[in-house]
Amino acid sequence: MTLHLSIFLWLPAAAGVLGLLLRSDKVARILAALGAFGTLGYAITAVVDYDRDQAGLQYVTDRSWISELGIHYKLGVDGLNLFLILLTAVLFLAAVLWSMRRPIERERHYWLHLGIGQSAVLGALMAQDLALFVAFFDLMLIPFYFLTIGWSTAENKNAAVLKLVIYTLVGSLLMLVAAIALAVLTKDASGNELTFVISDLTKTTLPEGSQDWIFLCFAAAFLVKMPAFPFHGWMPDGYRAMPLPVLAVFSGVLSKVAAYGFLRIVCPTLPDAAVEFQTLMLIIGLLSILYGSALAFTTTNVRLILGYSSLAQLGFILLGVFALNPQGAQGAILQAVNHGLVVAPAFFLAALAAERAGGSEDIRDMGGLAFRAPVMAVLFLIVAFANLAMPGSANFVGEFFILLGVFNAKVAIACIAFAGVALAAVYSLRLFIRAMHNRTGADTDSREIGVRDGLVVVPLVLAILALAFYPQLPLEKGEKDVVGAVAVAFERSDPERAARENGEDPTQAATPGRPESGVDPAAAGGAIDPATGAPVDPATGTGQPVDPATGGGGEQIQIDPNTGLPIDPNTGQPIQIDPEQLPVDPATGQEVTP
Amino acid sequence: MAIGWYLAVSALIFSIGAGGVLTRRNPLVILLCLELMLNAANLALIAFSRMHGNGDGQIFAIVVMVVAACEVCIGLGVIVAMYRRQLPIDVDELRELQG
Amino acid sequence: MNVTDYGWLILLFPLVGSVLIGLLSSKLPGKAAGFIGTGSIFLAFLATVGALFKLQDRPEEARQVTGILYDYASTVGVDAEMSILVDPLSILMCLVVSGVSTLIHLYSVAYMWSDKGYARFFAYLNFFVFSMLLLVLAGNFMLLIVGWAFVGAASYLLISYWYRRTTATTAGLKAFVINVVGDIGLVLGTYFIFKHTGTLDFLKTFESAEEFANEGNGDLTAGLILLLVGAFAKSAQVPFHTWLPDAMEGPTPVSSLIHAATMVTAGVYLIARMHPLFEQAPAAADVAAITGAVTLLVAGTIGLVVTDLKRVIAYSTMSQIGYMIMAVGGGAYVAGLFHLMTHAFFKALLFMAAGSVIGAMAGKQDLDQMGGFRKAMPFTFGCFVIGGLALAGVPPFSGFFSKDEILLILGDRGGWYIGLYVVGYIGALLTAVYTWRMIFRAFFGEACPEAKELEGGHLHHAAVHTNPANGEVEDTEVGFPGAEHHIAEQSTAMKVAMGCLAVLAVIGGFIQIPKVNHWLDDFLHPTFEDSKIEQLSSNDGLLYFGLILGTFVALVGIAIAYRLWVQQPETPARIQARFSFLHRLFVNKWYFDELIDLVVVRPFAWFGRFGQQTFERVVVGAALIGGPTGLVKAGSAAVRALQSGFLRAYAALLLAGVAITLFYFLVQS
Repeated sequence: MTLHLSIFLWLPAAAGVLGLLLRSDKVARILAALGAFGTLGYAITAVVDYDRDQAGLQYVTDRSWISELGIHYKLGVDGLNLFLILLTAVLFLAAVLWSMRRPIERERHYWLHLGIGQSAVLGALMAQDLALFVAFFDLMLIPFYFLTIGWSTAENKNAAVLKLVIYTLVGSLLMLVAAIALAVLTKDASGNELTFVISDLTKTTLPEGSQDWIFLCFAAAFLVKMPAFPFHGWMPDGYRAMPLPVLAVFSGVLSKVAAYGFLRIVCPTLPDAAVEFQTLMLIIGLLSILYGSALAFTTTNVRLILGYSSLAQLGFILLGVFALNPQGAQGAILQAVNHGLVVAPAFFLAALAAERAGGSEDIRDMGGLAFRAPVMAVLFLIVAFANLAMPGSANFVGEFFILLGVFNAKVAIACIAFAGVALAAVYSLRLFIRAMHNRTGADTDSREIGVRDGLVVVPLVLAILALAFYPQLPLEKGEKDVVGAVAVAFERSDPERAARENGEDPTQAATPGRPESGVDPAAAGGAIDPATGAPVDPATGTGQPVDPATGGGGEQIQIDPNTGLPIDPNTGQPIQIDPEQLPVDPATGQEVTP
Repeated sequence: MAIGWYLAVSALIFSIGAGGVLTRRNPLVILLCLELMLNAANLALIAFSRMHGNGDGQIFAIVVMVVAACEVCIGLGVIVAMYRRQLPIDVDELRELQG
Repeated sequence: MNVTDYGWLILLFPLVGSVLIGLLSSKLPGKAAGFIGTGSIFLAFLATVGALFKLQDRPEEARQVTGILYDYASTVGVDAEMSILVDPLSILMCLVVSGVSTLIHLYSVAYMWSDKGYARFFAYLNFFVFSMLLLVLAGNFMLLIVGWAFVGAASYLLISYWYRRTTATTAGLKAFVINVVGDIGLVLGTYFIFKHTGTLDFLKTFESAEEFANEGNGDLTAGLILLLVGAFAKSAQVPFHTWLPDAMEGPTPVSSLIHAATMVTAGVYLIARMHPLFEQAPAAADVAAITGAVTLLVAGTIGLVVTDLKRVIAYSTMSQIGYMIMAVGGGAYVAGLFHLMTHAFFKALLFMAAGSVIGAMAGKQDLDQMGGFRKAMPFTFGCFVIGGLALAGVPPFSGFFSKDEILLILGDRGGWYIGLYVVGYIGALLTAVYTWRMIFRAFFGEACPEAKELEGGHLHHAAVHTNPANGEVEDTEVGFPGAEHHIAEQSTAMKVAMGCLAVLAVIGGFIQIPKVNHWLDDFLHPTFEDSKIEQLSSNDGLLYFGLILGTFVALVGIAIAYRLWVQQPETPARIQARFSFLHRLFVNKWYFDELIDLVVVRPFAWFGRFGQQTFERVVVGAALIGGPTGLVKAGSAAVRALQSGFLRAYAALLLAGVAITLFYFLVQS
């Protein structure tokens, strides 16, 4: 199937512009919703249709944009950005639906900015050209600036948004320099024509000296955007000032673009520098985790609790990226999706709780909502558990992979990072308890979540649950490209392990392909069972059933084609099974002949 | 004729214009002097154009004329507006835009 | 149907029950929620029995079966599947869990009836049973961790079930956080093991255990000790035990089910499950055994002085789990699991009986205010006596056989295990004393007003309900306490549940009587056949010595308790005064709470406040933001001076600039 990414990308912005031109608030609102729904439809189609066996970009759009500079208008979807695009579509739709039922001033402009914001984020995620990426990355800032300055109710919104803009712009400028330097130096090193297309830039590796400073420039931009400690100075004021739906998408999606940038651009093009600064970045991630968690459980403002918790979660994602191995990278991408899915409903629910606590966003004014709002309490509970990465949630799977990656790379850092897991339990549950449990607050007006708010939050929570049951979907769809993104850096940081994992490729390749193998345990819906014909392990003689795909203890058991009996790996002769020990078919009670 | 003469004349007119801008306080006169400077530039452009034997310089000169026309329109409009508001017609007294 | 199909059914019923009750909660009439809950657990029990028969039909060497549903998170070399392992060990655990749960659900149908969150309670309780069954059926580390955390979450929800009590929410948070620390230990331990084996699947891991031990024994020991952290946190072993006494904030059936019979024994299950690894790293196993022994003593001594009825039983639970951990750490897997089973029976029974007493006291739990309930509540008293005798280890009650078997095998191993053997008997003495202290104080002596009222045929109701933990007046909006309490004497459902457990507490030990039968050992043999430690002792001398010593110690303990609290009730005060240091130590629970507060909680809270108040302001606010802002401001002030507003000055500057530039190029060329 052919998907036109340009339509996908510009749909929300087009809806916004059209709404502005039509001069009717109602029409603009409907158009914005249609645009968001259309984008979501496109995103779901892309996820369903995406072919996971085919590595590399799919649905590519490639036009020469500024040919003298080798800048292309190149868009594409691969395993790295597939689910982030879906996340963007989901969260922006949620923000649109949330905003629709609340009165907004200058409504058409609001929808326009939200639409442009979504297009910019999608553009940054899909861009396969460095210059295009930089353009979209900076474009993201503009609508959010206006959304904050125009629709915020905070007193210090001017100062807050100015801080945000200056922080981000400084980072962006450094990134622009880095992007240009990367392209120009690559041209010099390779002798080819000047190009900004990312896939071309990865073909040539720069000398280490230039890699280092380019890396630092990129890192500055991305770390500010995430934010990571100690570049989070804009975050407390910014989070307090933004209107809530805007904050939900900002925290849910925009921060992920930065993490994604590391995997899309930095790791493939600057592998040596990534290895060089691995420890530094891991420590920044670690400090973000510890600092964010500690602040999250001492602050009392709900937005800040969630903001600092995001700081900690992004620390985990950073750890995953800079584990520089497949496990870490897989975990980082999965966690990016998870965190977005969790933090947005968390903000919505916190806002609902604040509405019920006399408008105060301070947890000291809340309490006891659960009794009259049991559904809201359940939703809040699920979100809180997911946020603290309880095993069983996809967030845990993400953290499991991230920390496994870090564990393989740097054991000590993984061990310390686990403190963040414990602290997450404290701050998440503290938020839940203070909002939902204990005695009712003085000004609380407890009531159940409304249907229209429920329409926003419930689907998000259902998405969290769905991912919790089947995290395999994003993991396997993304596997090839995510592993590819860090492959070079992995090889340089840990050649021994990389060789071993690549050497084991045949068995690993068999893992996803297992359903095709002879006896399919999953399809049979049950055991690997002597009764179903699986061979008995001859090596150990314990008679334990052996997985037919991998064999016992890593040995492949062969079946003699003539007799159909398993072959003893030691003697090479078929094993005669004592008839008295034949397994009994539980269904019929009869013995089964092998 | 050598290019030098054209350039000399051009430089002379330019200097007159520049001197006028620096010394006069009436905005109308300053505008006139600016026109002089622009036309000096035009003269040089056309001279170079003829020297190289192609039309690039002439095109530039035409662009400059368009710019000059725009500038005069706006400038005169501003001066008329100042006059109507009975503001002093003196650039030294019009200094509200200081930092 | 396949044996693993039964396994999945075991998981399915409680999950469906929980979701059903949760979704329909407000629409369910009367006691429907309770019966759906009980019914779904009973179905799970039946499925377990089905799985048991299927399993016994198979040849002995094929009784460890893995069933895979789908790939859960299998990528980049990690093989995390949705898989369960059905073998005698998991089936035994499932039998205990689903069986005891059914009875406790039945008990709760009546006990919780006047509570306003009736449906919510059963939704939570069913979710807990699902989690616990998932934990014991898990076929790989990933699912084990999931089940492990789910029971922690369910335990949190049930501890803070009466969520208007701040004591309950705090206790819930404490339990959850300590359990998360345990989860972390488990995950990190898994990493160490996965690093060498390359698989998360249990059976594949065990197959490569020996190879692993040769390759990296340090990693194996480290990994197993981290797994032990998980086990200790879940099973309330020193120093991760402080949450368990506080967890008594939950309703009594919760204490009975989660904090006595099932969840807290998960650590024992974990060590038994991992025995092929522990046998390769004896150092780690020894850590477990010693911790178990220490907990046994610490909890026993605290149990002697606590006056809260439920907390006495809670400390007793800790101490009994100490036995089990000591057993499985010392290699007596079957004996440990045997004790786990009998303990589930008699401890659940004791908690239920305690619930009945608390009902009669209208919510009060303080032993100091109780007394003389013997005549008022004969049935409850009978249950207490049976539970007390089983707990103290008096023959022929169930606890006698299981405790004796643990100590026999430890004694038989010789060496330093003799130390554990001795500690075990000291613990047995303590157990008998504190158990019977509780019984004598609650049921003997002068009848308290509530008991007298009950004898007159009327159940006492408090005028104003207060939180027994801090005396705060209850918020009556949420759940407890309803208009009335329920006691076993007046409710058939409670009576049936307690009666069943009482019978089990009496006869539960008969499945493995020394020299007579060893059914449990035979049943569990497929799981433990690769163990190098003999699961049945053949040392007859030690056996008979132990049987006699055990009986003697239990009877002496009961006699001491009788003398101190019935015959001469003034003696305890005298002893307290004499050994005031020890008494203070025990009453303050060996100062573990204070220690953890000092070492862990305060530093982090300080760090957070420092970050909030100082670091954000000074470093982030002043240095990182203030610095550049100041620079920009100073620079702009300087440039602003140039903006004089004199048009001609600007023009002059412009010209001068152009002239200088031109001049520069002239000079250059």
